[in-house]
Amino acid sequence: MITYIARRLLFLPVVLIGVTLMIFVAMSFLTPYQLVSTYIKSPEELKNQSLDDLVRKYGLDQPVHVRYINWMRNLLRGDLGYSASANMPVAEAIARRFPATVELALFAIVPVILGGIWLGTISAKHYNRPLDHFSRVFAIVGWSLPDFVFGLILLMVFYGVLGWFPPGRLSMWADSIVLTGDFTRFTGLNTLDALLNGRPDIFWDSVRHLIAPVMTLAYLWWAYLLRITRSSMLEVMNKDYVRTARAKGLTERVVMNRHVRRNALIPVATVSGSMVLGLLGGVVIVETVFDYKGIGLLTATGAQQLDYTLVLGTTLFYGLLLVLINLVVDVLYAVIDPRVRLE
Amino acid sequence: MKTKVLSLIVLLLTLSLSVSVFAFDPETFVYVGGAGGPQTLDPAAAYDTASGEIIHHVYDNLFEYVDGDLDKIGPMLATEVPTVANGLMSEDGRTIRVPIRQGVKFHNGSVLTAEDVKYSFVRGMLADPAGGPMWMFFEPLLGVQTMRDVIAMAGGPSDFVEIDEVDPAILRKAYDLIDATMEVDGNDIVFHLVDPYPPFINILAKGGSWSSILSKEWMVANGAWDGNPDTWPKWYDRALEEMVLYDKANGTGPFKLDTWDKSGAQVLLSRFDEYWRGPAQLKSAVIKNIPEFSTRLLMLRAGDADGIYVGQQDLPQVRSIPNVVVVEGLPQVTNTVLFFSFTIPVEGNEDLVGSGKLDGNGIPSDFFADINVRKAFGYSFDFEAYLNEVALGAGEIPKGPFPQSLPYVNTEQEYFTHDLDKAAEYFKKAFDGEVWEKGFKVGIVYNTGNDARKTALEILEYNIERINPKFQVDVIGLEWATVLDRLRSASLPIFVMGWLMDFPDTHNFAVPFMHSSGTFAGFCGQGLIDLAKEQFDELIAAGIKATDPAERERIYHELQRLYVDLAIGMPFMEATTHRVMRDWVEGFEYCPAYSAQYDLYYISKVQK
Repeated sequence: MITYIARRLLFLPVVLIGVTLMIFVAMSFLTPYQLVSTYIKSPEELKNQSLDDLVRKYGLDQPVHVRYINWMRNLLRGDLGYSASANMPVAEAIARRFPATVELALFAIVPVILGGIWLGTISAKHYNRPLDHFSRVFAIVGWSLPDFVFGLILLMVFYGVLGWFPPGRLSMWADSIVLTGDFTRFTGLNTLDALLNGRPDIFWDSVRHLIAPVMTLAYLWWAYLLRITRSSMLEVMNKDYVRTARAKGLTERVVMNRHVRRNALIPVATVSGSMVLGLLGGVVIVETVFDYKGIGLLTATGAQQLDYTLVLGTTLFYGLLLVLINLVVDVLYAVIDPRVRLE
Repeated sequence: MKTKVLSLIVLLLTLSLSVSVFAFDPETFVYVGGAGGPQTLDPAAAYDTASGEIIHHVYDNLFEYVDGDLDKIGPMLATEVPTVANGLMSEDGRTIRVPIRQGVKFHNGSVLTAEDVKYSFVRGMLADPAGGPMWMFFEPLLGVQTMRDVIAMAGGPSDFVEIDEVDPAILRKAYDLIDATMEVDGNDIVFHLVDPYPPFINILAKGGSWSSILSKEWMVANGAWDGNPDTWPKWYDRALEEMVLYDKANGTGPFKLDTWDKSGAQVLLSRFDEYWRGPAQLKSAVIKNIPEFSTRLLMLRAGDADGIYVGQQDLPQVRSIPNVVVVEGLPQVTNTVLFFSFTIPVEGNEDLVGSGKLDGNGIPSDFFADINVRKAFGYSFDFEAYLNEVALGAGEIPKGPFPQSLPYVNTEQEYFTHDLDKAAEYFKKAFDGEVWEKGFKVGIVYNTGNDARKTALEILEYNIERINPKFQVDVIGLEWATVLDRLRSASLPIFVMGWLMDFPDTHNFAVPFMHSSGTFAGFCGQGLIDLAKEQFDELIAAGIKATDPAERERIYHELQRLYVDLAIGMPFMEATTHRVMRDWVEGFEYCPAYSAQYDLYYISKVQK
């Protein structure tokens, strides 16, 4: 297994060089004056005719390969460059925005997975009966609702009408304590940092801000897990060993929970892995609606403004994350499932 | 299991109820803007409204507009406004003495001197970041546009890539040229202008973030240029984030910068208790950016925001909300103009110019160089429909390139009207009748996302295609980056752009719209540049040098007439603006020159 992991890790630089090369090749189709839009973001900002000065200042007229070599050289020194769209160094932007995304993912993943599996189990148990239809319709409505619509509905109800779950990551008062007060940022996860700083009020405030985006993500993604769980359970339910279990007089509950569900969960685990990755990559629309400043919005804004240093940095980061998480999932398979051998 | 889940939910809901008790905070003001926050907080580099907004609250200027009236300038950090009458301005308008207010404190506790004032401007000019606002000092003081030009004046090259390529002796000479434009005389600062420049006082007034006053002592302590005549190149044209004031600030203004939380897209300000005019009523303020309108609106409704940005098209949604005040029709000094490119490249530009010939399937390179074509387009546009249906009545139809709220504008100037017969007449004259006979096909471009501009072009398309079935206009949306690229090569046959004033003077519109080296001339092709050199440049130079108001009026009326007669472009909108705030906001003051949405110094909150 060690050789397997080592080989996969050796492959990592190849993947990363590949993705960054692709971005640079794509970039070579852009002219210096297209790239200068990173610094002049809208027609209103075009105040005097110094486009040439800006191009010269930021070296946008250099050939792509020269820029790639420069970028690589800086990267090897640990410098990802400066992002004009985020107004900070790329590394810092990732370091600040990624914890927000991790926090949202951590809070979202449990209700998403448990809820999806629970719904899938109900559907399978009540196959083709009203409860099955109901939970499938319920989930499929979520799946087909555009995320900004559902997010906005939640925001209107829970913030606009009830005033419970506001947008953003923290309330103003909490923000001012976290940003300017006596508050140490250990992890960048507001909930965890609040607890470490002994501030239950800030902990609760940040949880309050997480609930609505988590509800949105959960409802939108349940359908996917429901269908996987349901079909996989139905398949297992027809297996001989389930019939045997029933025949030997086990209660339906034990049959379902121990013999059926556990075996049906392997494809669910695979899907959940990719869901975690998806969450960690950022959820642009949910971040937009709830003004939740995560990495998805950061990358999307950067891409829109042709901020190639930022796009390169986040791609590199995401590539790294993807390879590592896939590796972990593969290793976990081998640990969980005796039929899988890593060579 | 189920009861556990249920009780957990109930618990959560009760808890959230218990903390969501509505709290009205009378001492904190929250403004939520749309997409895009400040780019830099350095007054020498900031040239966008979002940056100007923050700088407005943190710094003061030498002068300010009294009651927001652009015609009434009063002293701020100066104690008097220089005029020839009070002897502070020389007869020829070239020497201006400004007495500096005594006892004014910066946020760090240091006390304002005339030396700080000189340092603020000299430092900005020496730093001159590309694309920045410092031309407003170079032009009146030295008659040039950039530090590069000053280095060239000193005998150096103007096309260097790195400043260390330039001989240090020349750089020293360039420094001396700048240093000589201002001198400190006791508590006064004396400016020496190369020529008279009537709006120079406006450039120094509040609203001009570029003329914010810095503390030299604090700057040097924070690693900025120390005033040494030989070391300044180290700070010349640095990237925005490498400048000392990029995300730090120390002004004399009513609010201190607490933090610019870039990842949270918000700026936190707090009251400066030792403000020289007395402390503000608000204790703190938050200026943040949330691109999604629905989210902003919900925050306003909930009372979490005191004021929000609302686009013109969304105004009908907020007018009827209880406890929300909409202030409309606020004048701005701005215009939106449809430009024609006089010389359009054909190669690589086929998506817009088609065949590149006058054969019914395209337009030739010099299509808009024919005045009849430009006039025909001008008479085709339905100005009223745009104003009423698209801009929802928020503005005025222009009378030329100069907004009518400025001085020296001829409001009686005859201008285009929506007249398709006249348009047809001009189309028939164009290219000796060939345009009418063969027809044409042209792509006209807006930057995607700007729906108002798209509709403006569609109005033009609809009307022109009605005149003659052989005329074909395609409205094409391009990404802003691509628009910018094609502007640079002057390859957009028609484009729409706006100009928001830097300072309230007709000159600030004459240059970008009519001068051969103005912002827009380069985008309109060599044809316009040649025409401008021949007919406009001299007049523009005479207009800014004239000290007699009657003479200035004559010159700007003449420029306005030329622009309209020659149909250089088609200004079609002078937009007003608006504010949307909670009814507990009191003390709202408006000045068209200010970037700040709310002048926080005067704002207070009183619950109704």
